[in-house]
Order: sequence, then C-alpha cells, then structure tokens
Amino acid sequence: MINQFRTIERFYSDNFIKNRFKNYLFKLNVRNTFLSDYKESKYLKMSYFTKPFNFKHFLFFLFVFATANPCNAQTNFTISGKVSDAKNGEGMIGVNVFLKELKIGASTNVYGFYSITAPQGKYTLVVSYIGYNSVSKEYTLDNNQTLNFELTEEGKLLDEVVVTGKREDDNVKNVEMSVNKVEMKTIKKMPAFLGEVDVIRSIQFLPGVSSVGEGSSGFNVRGGGIDQNLVLLDEAPVYNSSHLFGFFSVFNPDVVKDVKLIKGGIPATYGGRVSSILDVRMKEGNSKKPEFSGGLGTIFSRFAYERPFLKEKGSFIVALRRSYIDILAKPFLNSDLKGSRFYFYDFTAKTNYKINDKNTIFLSGYFGRDVFGADFGFNWGNSTTSFRWNHVFNNKLFLNTTVFYSNYDYSLDSDLSNENDQDSFEWKSNILNYSIKPDFNYYLNSKNTISFGGQAIYYTFNPGQATAVSGGQSRSIGLDSKYAMESALYVGNEQKLTDKLTLNYGLRYSFYSYMGPGTVYTFNENTTPGERKAITSTRTSEKGEAIKNYGNLEPRIALNLGINNSTSIKLGYNRLAQYIHLLSNTVASSPLDVWTPSSNNIKPQLSDQVALGLFKNFSENLYESSVEVYYKTLKNQIDYIRNADLLLNPAVEGDLMYGIGRAYGAEFFVKKNKGKLNGWVSYTLARTERKIDGLNNNDWYASRIDKAHNISVVGILDLTKKWSMGTTLSFSSGTPASFPTNKFAWQGIALPHNYTDDRNTYRIPNSHRLDYSATRKNKHALFGKGESEWVFSVYNVYNRKNPFSVYVRQNPDDPSKTEAVKYSVFAAIIPAVTYNFKF
Amino acid sequence: MKKILSILIVSAALFSCEEVIDLEVKDGVNQLVVDAWLTDEDKEQSVKLTISQPYFEDAAPKPALGAEVIVYNQDSTAHVFTDPNNDGVYTYKPKAGKFLKENEQVALAVKYENEQYYSLSQLKRVPKIDSIAYEVFSFPIAPPNGGPKDGFLAQFYANDPVGEGDTYLVRSYKNDTLRFKPTDITLAYDAGFSPGSKSDGLMFILPIRQSLNQTLFSDKDKLKVELFSIPTEAYYFLLQLRQESSNGGIFATPLSNIPTNIINLNSKSTKKALGAFFVSKVSTFETVIDKSKARPKQ
Repeated sequence: MINQFRTIERFYSDNFIKNRFKNYLFKLNVRNTFLSDYKESKYLKMSYFTKPFNFKHFLFFLFVFATANPCNAQTNFTISGKVSDAKNGEGMIGVNVFLKELKIGASTNVYGFYSITAPQGKYTLVVSYIGYNSVSKEYTLDNNQTLNFELTEEGKLLDEVVVTGKREDDNVKNVEMSVNKVEMKTIKKMPAFLGEVDVIRSIQFLPGVSSVGEGSSGFNVRGGGIDQNLVLLDEAPVYNSSHLFGFFSVFNPDVVKDVKLIKGGIPATYGGRVSSILDVRMKEGNSKKPEFSGGLGTIFSRFAYERPFLKEKGSFIVALRRSYIDILAKPFLNSDLKGSRFYFYDFTAKTNYKINDKNTIFLSGYFGRDVFGADFGFNWGNSTTSFRWNHVFNNKLFLNTTVFYSNYDYSLDSDLSNENDQDSFEWKSNILNYSIKPDFNYYLNSKNTISFGGQAIYYTFNPGQATAVSGGQSRSIGLDSKYAMESALYVGNEQKLTDKLTLNYGLRYSFYSYMGPGTVYTFNENTTPGERKAITSTRTSEKGEAIKNYGNLEPRIALNLGINNSTSIKLGYNRLAQYIHLLSNTVASSPLDVWTPSSNNIKPQLSDQVALGLFKNFSENLYESSVEVYYKTLKNQIDYIRNADLLLNPAVEGDLMYGIGRAYGAEFFVKKNKGKLNGWVSYTLARTERKIDGLNNNDWYASRIDKAHNISVVGILDLTKKWSMGTTLSFSSGTPASFPTNKFAWQGIALPHNYTDDRNTYRIPNSHRLDYSATRKNKHALFGKGESEWVFSVYNVYNRKNPFSVYVRQNPDDPSKTEAVKYSVFAAIIPAVTYNFKF
Repeated sequence: MKKILSILIVSAALFSCEEVIDLEVKDGVNQLVVDAWLTDEDKEQSVKLTISQPYFEDAAPKPALGAEVIVYNQDSTAHVFTDPNNDGVYTYKPKAGKFLKENEQVALAVKYENEQYYSLSQLKRVPKIDSIAYEVFSFPIAPPNGGPKDGFLAQFYANDPVGEGDTYLVRSYKNDTLRFKPTDITLAYDAGFSPGSKSDGLMFILPIRQSLNQTLFSDKDKLKVELFSIPTEAYYFLLQLRQESSNGGIFATPLSNIPTNIINLNSKSTKKALGAFFVSKVSTFETVIDKSKARPKQ
C-alpha cells in the first residue's frame, strides 16, 4: 500500500486531494481486509455493485484536472456533434475535426462523437479522414453549437485527384502509440486462406503480432499469450476467437466496421488483459437504405441484411455465416456416416435507435458455434450480447454505458443419439460473465479531454460438469463452479501541454474478488517446483464470501513530442492486471481449454511495458513510417508440471507452476496510405522469455511463442476500376522446440530423454509464404441490381511446407527405432474463389 | 480426449503433411536403464538392464552386464536374478505361490559399476475379468491401420473394486500376438481414465472395455485380455510414456522427461538411472470368437 501512496503522491501534490484519495484507498483496503469477515452476502453484493459507480471520487479527479488547467479569461464556446459516413449513416471512428486557424482539433470517439472548445471567433473547420473527402467549412463561433457531418468516400473515380485535409498525419500527431488500425477495405482486399476474409489472420501481418504457427487459434502480441489479448466485439469480450480449431476467426467480415489493435500505451479505459486490446466494432446497419449483401465462398456462405427503420431514426443489420461442406457432402455419405455433423456458423445482429439528439441506444449480439460429431458430439461456441446507451449530457460531456453478457461453452457427448443407455459420457464446460461499464468523455477545453468510468464484471466459471454412465451406473463428475467479481475505476486525461507536447495519462484501479460458494483448496507449497502439489486442506466457502481479494493500481502514461510537422517521438508506459487465465498446455490452444480465475492459489498476472517510438511521415503523408522499441515484463505467469491434468481435475491448481516473463523488441513499419499501389512493410525483431520455478534450472528460456524475426509485406494494387490485386508475403523465424538427447528402451519401446532436461533449446525451421488475390468488380449483381465481385485467391503460392512443429517419435512400424518428423498444417497450394454481392 | 481431437484434426486438416526429416541434436550422457515389470505369476520373471544411447542412433541398445539384481519381499526375503545368457536380461524362476504377496511392498536392488540403485513398488489388487462379449461390426470405410472392415467388436467385462485409487493397464492378444503399441496403451484409474473422473467402483467404462479392438476380430480368432494392477507411479510413468510416444500435431505438449522410480542409493552421485520398476497382479480371460455367439449389429 505504501508504494501505491508514493505513486499517487507523485501524481497529486495537492494535500486536500491527497487526503481524500488516501482516505478512499484506505477505506477500500480496510474493506478488503475485512471482507472475509462479513458473512452477510447482502452487504457484499451491494458494495460490489455500488463501488464502481461512486462518482463522488470521479469528481475529485475532475477537480484536479480542471484546476491544473486554468481556463482562459476569454469566452469559450464548444462545437460538438457526430460524424458519419454519407453512404450508410454509420458513425465514424477517429475522424479529425480541426480548427485551421488555431491548429487545434479533436478526433471522434468510437461512436462518432466529437467536441471542440475554442474562443469566440471566425474559423475554418476541417473534417478529414483517410480515404474520405474532407469537408471544410467557414464558421463563426459565437455560441455553443451542434454540427453533424457526413463524409463521402474518395476514390470512387480513380483518376480524380482528391485534395485531402492536412490531418492525415494522425499517426504522427496523435498521442496514441503501438496502435494499429486496419481498414476493413484493406482486409477485404488481402489474400485470404480459402478465400475467407479473416480479421485475426490479417492482423498477424502487423508489426509485433505473431502466432505459434499456421492454423493455430488466436494471436500473440509482443510476447504475450493468446489469453492475454482482450478481444472485444462491441465491448463484450470473446473468449475463443476461432472456428475450426483456429483456421478461421469468428468475426463475420460483412459486419465488422472497425478493427483496432492496441499493443502498448494502453489507455486507462481498457483493462483486464496484460498484452493487448483488439477492439472490434460492428457496423450499425445502413441508416439510408435497405441493403442485402452476401457471398458464396469455399467454406462459408454469407448473407446480411441491413436497413433503416422509423424514418431513419434507427437501423439494424443481421448477418449469418455458415459452412456448407457438410451439406455438399451429404449425398455422398453412406448410411453409417449419414449422422455425422461437421459445420460451424455464426449469427451477428445489431440495431441502433436514435431516441433524440442526446440519446442513442444500440443492441448487438453474436452467436457462433462449431459442431462436430458422428456417434459422439462435440460443439463449442461464443455468444455475446451488448446493450449500449450513448448519452450526450451537453456539448462537453458524453456518456456511453455498456451492459453485456458473454459466454463461451463447449460440450461433449459420447453417444449423441442415446442408443446406449448403459454407457455414455457427457461433459459441459463454460465461462459466463455479465458486466456493466459506464464510460464518460469530458471535453473540458481545447487542451484537455478527460475520460473516466468504471466497470464491474461478474464471472461464473464452470470448469466441467460431466456425467459418466458405465454398465448402467451413473456418476456425475461435477467440478464446483467458481465465481469472481472484477471491477475497476479509471480516469484519464489527454492533455495538450504545448503545441509540441501532448500527454495522455491515467490511472486505473482494478479490484478483484474470488468468491464463494465453492470448495477452497490449499496446497502444499513446500513441494519441489515441478512436482504435483498435494492438497493440504479443503474448506467450503459460503455464497458471496470473498475467498481472496486482489487490488491493483494500473498507471498509464503516453507522451507525444512533436519534432516538426511530420515527425514526432512518443513514449508510453502502462501497467495492466489480468485476473483470469486460460489453462492450455498444448502448442496451439484447443477449444477444450478451460479459463480459470485468480484464486487463493493463482495470483493475478501483471505486466509493465515501456515503449518508445519515432514516427515520421513522408511526401505529404503519402507514406507513414514508425520505429518502436518496447520492453515488457510479466509477473505470475503460469506453466504446467509434466503430466498436468488440466481437464476435470478439482485439484488442477496443484499442477501449475509459476514464474515471470519478459519480452522486448523493435518494430519497423512503413505504410503507403494512398494511390494505386498501397500497403505496408513491417519488420519485427523480438525476444520473448519465461523464467519458471522448476523449469530449465530456474533460468530464463525462450518461450514457445518466441520468434526472432517477423517480416510482412502487404500490397494492394488497384489496377483499374474493375480489377484490384492483393498480395501478402510473410517470413518468420522458427519457434523454439525441445528435443531429446538420448533414448532408452523400456519393454521394447524407444523413449526420449533429455539429459539436461532443458526446454526450448532448439529452433524449428523458418516459415515463409506468399499469397495472391485478385478482385474483379462487376457493375451488377444478381438480378441486374447492385454490385458484385469475384475474388480469386491463391494461398501458399510456391507450395512451401511450413513447419508447424518438429517432433520426435518411434517409427510407426518398429517402436524400438526413432525418427524426427516435421509437421505442416498447410502443405499445398490452396486456391479459392469467392463471389460477393450487394444490392 | 486427445483421440477425439485427433480424429477431428484429421478430418479438418486436409492440407496437412508429416515428413520424416534429419535432425541434429546434442548427445547427452548415457545412463543405466532399468526395465523391470514383474508379476506375481509363477512364470519366469526378468529384469532387463541396458544403457541409454544417443537419440537417433540406430543400433540396438547395449546391455548392462555384470550387475547384481535382487528383489526383496517386504519381509526381506531375497530373490536373486541372474544373467545366464550374458545379454543384460536378468531372470528368476519363482517357486509356485512363493514370490509376491498382495499389498506387500517389494524392493528392487541393482548394483552396477560400483553404484547401488534401488526402487520400491507395491503389489496391488486386481479384479477378475467376468466375460468377453462381441458384436457384429462394420467400419464405414476400410480402417487405415489395415484391419478388416467387417468383423467383431469385442469388449471385456470387469468391475473396479470399491476404494479409490486403483490403477490398471489393459493389454490384449489376437491369436497369441501381443498388441501393445506405445501410442495406444490403455490405462485406467479406477474404472475411468483419470483421477478426475470419479469412477470408483464402477464397471470399467466403455472405451476401456472396448480397448481390445486395435483391429476388428474375425470368426475363430483367439482373443486374450490381460488386466494388470499397477501402482500409481507406474500409472503416471505409462501415461507419460504414451504421451511422449504420440506427441505430434497442433495440440502437442512440450516434451518432458518421463519420470523414473529408480534411485541411486548415494544421493550425491552424478550417476542416475532411467526406467521403471513395478509389480502387478494380473487377471486374464481368453476366448475364441464364434460368430454364432456374436451379438447382432446395433
């Protein structure tokens, strides 16, 4: 606690504030300490739900910031409003709204809202966004005004020279660093595996992002595990972002509006994972006219419908994707295979309704599922629902409140058709959570934009409920459900100190409670690291009881120092805490992996990251470039003892080992934003290590996701109005691997043994791959209306057999002989054709 | 579970491939390997001592010769194993009913090149196999392992006795040929697969009962099942042996050394041994497939 005070003291010198804050933290601390003594769950529940919304504390913060920036004596007025896309009425994110004369501006938030405060006067207001025609408007500011803008897409006519606004140097001017945005337009033109446009695969071409191998689930950011990325779909977390074990991601490209990956300098608004935030926003639905769109691909067929309703006050979009291999295969299957199932689908829907100028509500939902089976059944999927309310208090204060539900579950059934009532096995597992999350943007003045808010998430973990029937006798193997509450309060400010210096600083306090009811296990902590820890005691906790509490202060700071108009230096630091963990002992994560909460045995993960970047644009912002270096440390990282039993094991915490991690690297990025040929080149030099008690003599060793070099080239060539081409090239170093030094024979079987017992001392060969795509746009779609396109793609053009892993095994014909095997997931040239339409 | 996943992966990964490649690895120090799996049966018992070798060396393992091998009962009765053929296979022919007793702690002592190793194991109970039944069965396509497409799917019936923590190994013979592939060793913890399955006192679960069917059986095939009781540490040894023998693909786990229960008496010595010693009671059941007795197809 003392350390936390010191940190705060540095932030706030004002005694009054300090005392109040101290008081608050003290109270919180006292409450934490005695929580376990409160047997009345009622009190607990109330305190949990009310704490994040105690706005009194925010007011103090606001007070600090407000007084730190004495207002001008001049009369100031505020212009605020919404920027949307003229084509479909979608609110636009990150649009620059700029007062030319004062060189001050703002960018729109995720709902398209902006607010600028300036002294009375005559101004030229410029609204600009890459790929859109800027709007410039002469304006006399003499009262508070609401001004809404609609932008039209540029490049409808390729030959036309479009004069764009000056603020395309956003990457230089913005204080955000370690952030990558990929336009859906670009993602759709990139070559896709089997022609299926894929958000997660596309972001793997960005600097600092990698995966353990082709076809694996999820992605790794700056040395973080796949469970260390917060994947948000309209603010609701998605726990498994893959269909078909990782071949495809769960996001339907037809409904994705915006994709933003934050790798560092993470603002205080976000929390809950230690490596990155992938913020995916869904389209709101066309508010101008009804529209059908869809496509027929190799794997999926897609269909989406969007339209306005109630005189364009509202709009909605519904989209369905389903794989159809099983339907095509059905006629060819004989009777024994007739019952087999093999499909995956997702359904996405969103609607919004503008109640009035000050209130808009959104409701979005995602439901996806993978189903496999013949006699046995196996299915898994995510579902999320989020309800949001945008409220504009006045032209300076904007509120979004999100309430969401998110669930990931899987189930296994050995006997789907219930033919055999004597013998069967059924197993279900899920992670479920509910959350409320108010976020405020307060546009204090032209120099300060304050954001503050909080979040409370209630988790239910159901690691496994199984029923086994053998010889007619039934046993239920119920692991206790586990419960937890994670809440957070945050406040942040983006402050323009001078023309050259912008700061974004904030503080997040996250508070976590592992709650009853359930069995609380304690383990023998004196066990030799690497061995299974035995349970020393168990007790039953009561409903609502706080078994273990954790609290973390998470400071965030980012700084942008402008060197000149096209160059800036940025520096960022963030601390993040993560309270839930994905237990996965395999190279690639499998759908059976179970999420588990921090508990009396598992401590929350913490990361600290420092990043420094140089950003420079060339040729009037035609090219943008950046170099970033980062250093990240990770605490309380989990590893697994040999033979760890992670599934249906009540004492699973006894099979875990703990340690620390570090990751550092440099990322080089050059992007051409416009023109017939656009795209980017990125190079990442990185190192990711872990140090786990009981592994590798407790020394640092290369983590299984460590890849020294990562090169990506993405090129999009708009040849004519009709044709465009895309190409991607990627190279990455081999991941570490462990091999035996010796073999020994036991009952005629050759078994591997590593004399030093060191992990990850070898490297598998490098991977590289080239992909092509070509898109042909047609003037007309089906029935002569709308538009359509053919997309041709070739994945793995030169048929490289990239290694996913190299492993050793006994010769299948003679288990006394041994050999090494290279395993490639994709060892073929994979062509595909997709037809997309819109009308 | 891994099986289900691998089946799915096979069907999903249409583009995958496996290639045998050359791999250079550092050699480690060669160690004594103890291969000692004894039963309480009256037949000749053997302990095989070899020396470990570089992983990719093709030669047969070198025997460890000139060792002293003694098995002790809990009451310190010594049974001396000898190496008559000088090939590292140390044997002992017990007198009827006078070797190992149920539940007793058994010790193995090995003296080799001035180092003394020992190991302990317990002879645990094993239930009787009640019967074997078989049904007519056809695969939709010819199985890739070369077995018949149509035949009989067999299962044995036995019950795990009440009391948690019994561990077993199941082996089967088809026409006197032992079928014991390291990739599909069948292990049971009580009547289920693992301690988490809480299957104490049940009939062995269906996948264990049907584990005899590496390939389908044909009419007049001789089928023999062996159910071994094994101590818990043998269960984990074999579990990892199986894991390391089938550890490829997308869902591989990191390679880790298979634990041993062979201990150097001098804990300060740098010489450590590999392998395992354990003792088993065994139940067997034999039958000849008779198509007229087969259950009809379900």
